[in-house]
This record gives sequence, C-alpha cells and structure tokens, in this order.
Amino acid sequence: MASTVASLSIPATTFAAADVLPRRKAASRVWFPVARRGGFSVRSTGPATPPDISDKLSESIKEAEATCADEKGTAECAAAWDNVEEISAAASHARDNLKENSDPLEKYCKDNPETDECRIYDN
Amino acid sequence: MAAFTAHTSAATSLYSPAGTAILLRSRSRAYPTTTTIRVSCSKTVVIGVAADSGCGKSTFMRRLTSVLGGGAEPPRGGNPNSNTLVSDTATVICLDDYHSLDRAGRKAKGVTALDPRAHDFDLMYEQVRAIKEGRAVEKPVYNHVTGRLDPPELITPPEILVIKGLHSMYDERVRDLLDLSIYLDISNEVKFAWKVQRDMAERGHSLESIRASIEARKPDFDAYIEPQKQYADAVIEVLPTQLIPGPGDDEGKVLRVKLIMKEGVEHFAPVYLFDEGSTVNWIPCGRKLSCSYPGIRFAYGFGAYFGHEVSVVEMDGQFDKLDELIYVETHLSNLSTKFYGEVAQQMLKHADFPGSNNGTGLFQTIVGLKIRDLYEQIVARR
Repeated sequence: MASTVASLSIPATTFAAADVLPRRKAASRVWFPVARRGGFSVRSTGPATPPDISDKLSESIKEAEATCADEKGTAECAAAWDNVEEISAAASHARDNLKENSDPLEKYCKDNPETDECRIYDN
Repeated sequence: MAAFTAHTSAATSLYSPAGTAILLRSRSRAYPTTTTIRVSCSKTVVIGVAADSGCGKSTFMRRLTSVLGGGAEPPRGGNPNSNTLVSDTATVICLDDYHSLDRAGRKAKGVTALDPRAHDFDLMYEQVRAIKEGRAVEKPVYNHVTGRLDPPELITPPEILVIKGLHSMYDERVRDLLDLSIYLDISNEVKFAWKVQRDMAERGHSLESIRASIEARKPDFDAYIEPQKQYADAVIEVLPTQLIPGPGDDEGKVLRVKLIMKEGVEHFAPVYLFDEGSTVNWIPCGRKLSCSYPGIRFAYGFGAYFGHEVSVVEMDGQFDKLDELIYVETHLSNLSTKFYGEVAQQMLKHADFPGSNNGTGLFQTIVGLKIRDLYEQIVARR
C-alpha cells in the first residue's frame, strides 16, 4: 500500500523537479553519487540487473580494457568496447523490463491511466 | 459468370490480413485453372528511425506507439529475447536482427556493430519491401543476451512498420522504401551524460570505461552513422543548454533540443511558431507565465541543412508546470493534433519517461503526431 501511495505522488513531483532520471527516485534504490574518479568502480550492483547479464558485462569490460591496453586505437579495441556498449544496452533494457513487470499496479496503470486506481491528483 | 473467391496462396506468400490474393477460376477450361493475382488493399506505411539506443523499448518508441494508440509488447509466445514490438497498429523491428556477423564473428574480424560489414542489407531490403507490399516474412532474431542469431520469427505486415536501428537510412534501396525517416542526433556531451546515468550503477563500469567505450566507437560512428543525417526528413538534435552560463550544467539535465524538418516532404508539414517562414526568438516566461530557473526559450527559423531547405524549431530549458506546456502548445502551429491540448496530454500521460519536461519529450511527441498524420493522409489517399 505504501508503495502505491508513493507511486501516486511521484508523477506530480517529477514534473516539478528538474529531473531526467525519475525512475531512480524509487525509495528501494540506493543511489551512489557519481563523483568518483581515478579508475574506481562504483561498488553497487544495479539492483535490478539480472546477474547473468551483469557478469557478462563485467567480463566484457575487463576484456576490453585488456585488449586496449596492448594496442589502442585498433579495430580490435573498437570492437571490444562496442561489445561492452552492446551488453550495457542489453543490461539497461533488462533492468527496464524487470522494473516494468515488478509492480502489477504500475503495469496496469500504464495502460489504463484513467481508471480510478490510477488517477493522479495534482494538489 | 466467372467465380471469384478470395484465396490464400500458400506457395509464395503467407496470408496477411492486410492484403488479399484473388483467385480466378476460369470456366472455359475443362479443369479449373488458378491464377493468383495479389492485390494489396492497404500497403504498409514504413517509418525509419536512426538512433543509438539499442533494441528495446526506448523512450521514443514508447511515445510513438502511445500516440499511434496502444501498448507495444514483444510478440506473444515468441522468443523472449525478441527485439520486435507489436501493438494494434504498429510493429517496431530492430535492425540489429539483420546482423550478418554475431558477437563472436564481429570479435574475430575486429568489426564493430556500427560497421556496415556486420549487416546484411540485402536481406533487410528484401524483407522490408516484402512487408511493405503486404507479405509476411520470417525475420531473423539477434539475441542481445547471448550475442547469437536465433531462429527467425514471423512478422505479419502491420499498418505501420517502424524500422529502428543504427542503419535505418544507410542503404539506398531501404531509404526509398521509407515514407518518413527520423534521425536522433545526440551531441557528445549529452551522450556521455546519458550513458553515465545509464551505466554508473553497474558493477564493473566506471567513468573511464564509459568514456573509453564512447571514444572507441566514435570513428565508426562518424564514418557510417552520422552521414545518415542528410537523408533524414526530420532530425531531433539534442545539445547542452545555453541558458546556464559558465561551466553550466554538466549533468545533462537541462537540454537544448532542435527539431529540424525538411521542407517539401510529402504528407509532412513542418511545425512552426507564429509565422511560417520567418525567424522568431521567443521566451514565453514573463507576465502571463511564470517559469522557474533556468526558464524556457524557443526559437524558430529556416535555413539549409546538408543542402536541403529546412525549418527548425528549437526549445531550450525545462517545463516545470502543466501551464507552461499548454501555453507553449497554444502557440505552436501545424502540430497535427486532433484536439487542443493533445501534446500536453500525451506528455502528461508519460510524465515518468525521461525527457518529459524538456524538448526531447516535446519533439518526440510531436514527431509521433506527425507520423500519425502522415499515415492517415496516406490511407485517405487510397
């Protein structure tokens, strides 16, 4: 129930806040700030990424870094990083899919925003 | 009197609800002879979208399918890793399915997915043409999770076919089949900011790896993908904002978005502000409308883009109230809306999508309405 109330109030504030990432506002997510430099990996796993894709992603990043350490600017290096990009995109879509299907009310409301359960009040 | 019956011919084409094949039975022979004439009552409208966001429900596709009326879902009962989205009126196919080299193959040859050598343009052309003519096809499926090509899936011709990928306008033959083409041009700074937002929570990724990934792909991107801009009928260009001075907004939250529309495209009337063919600079915030920082600035003008005449509508800044959105919509013209406030309604319906408060959402919604309008004009003509 609490999450329903929270999700009803989110759209009203999303519009007000200068926010490009409304999805990340869900209370269940832990959001680590981005300001880390110096080759650090942010230690939190994208909480919703399926583990097999997440593993593939880490492996491909290591591989790309290895390939490019030897020969930078070659076709193999480009192909390796392109691979990383492809898997990152797949991971992002997998996260979106999981998120979509996680809350049945949200799923229903997406298709039927005019029903009573899904109405959003702006005051 | 000759008898005419509708008949599905099994040999060369698969039955499609949109088209019909007519079987003529001739009475002058002793035995019934059949001649199949394929008559398409409605040809599929094909839209091409060139964007770098991979295969999946991107925000643009969601907005587009919403405008066209209905949720788009992967085909039921099919491959769960299918890249195709099907709704009542539209089918979105992802051009990654036409990879001729799978992940292992690309790695072996040292070829990125941006390289045309990794794509089978002949098959792409054949199948898009087949769908446009009303024939169903067995389209290959590229599984992004495993990186391999899966067994093909059946695609029946929809009313509107959207082909989405990096190479939608690369091949000349495919370009000729498109009724409208759209290119999403994201500038480098914004691309970096968006990829950081997308990937930073991933274990393994760091700012360096994201930056390296973008830079490694850049040469191929500039060589093969960027040139498609010149062929697009509409380009949505996303740039960093000019409203925040100095180092500005390096998180890419406030955006300047331009909608560049080619003049003279059939069934596509460019959007304009106040006075078509003039140059306008408009800040709606003032006495009638109060906006919060950094505000909103609109510009409208015309010019040349890769040698074509274009009209450009530009929005810089963010909406933070419904009033602002409706106010702006009131002053834009040629939006192809069916009722006053439709753009605002569509934006509000998806207020949780990224870009709902800036030009990306606004122009994506408007392009969606233009596509609907184009489709209705084509259908009305038949």
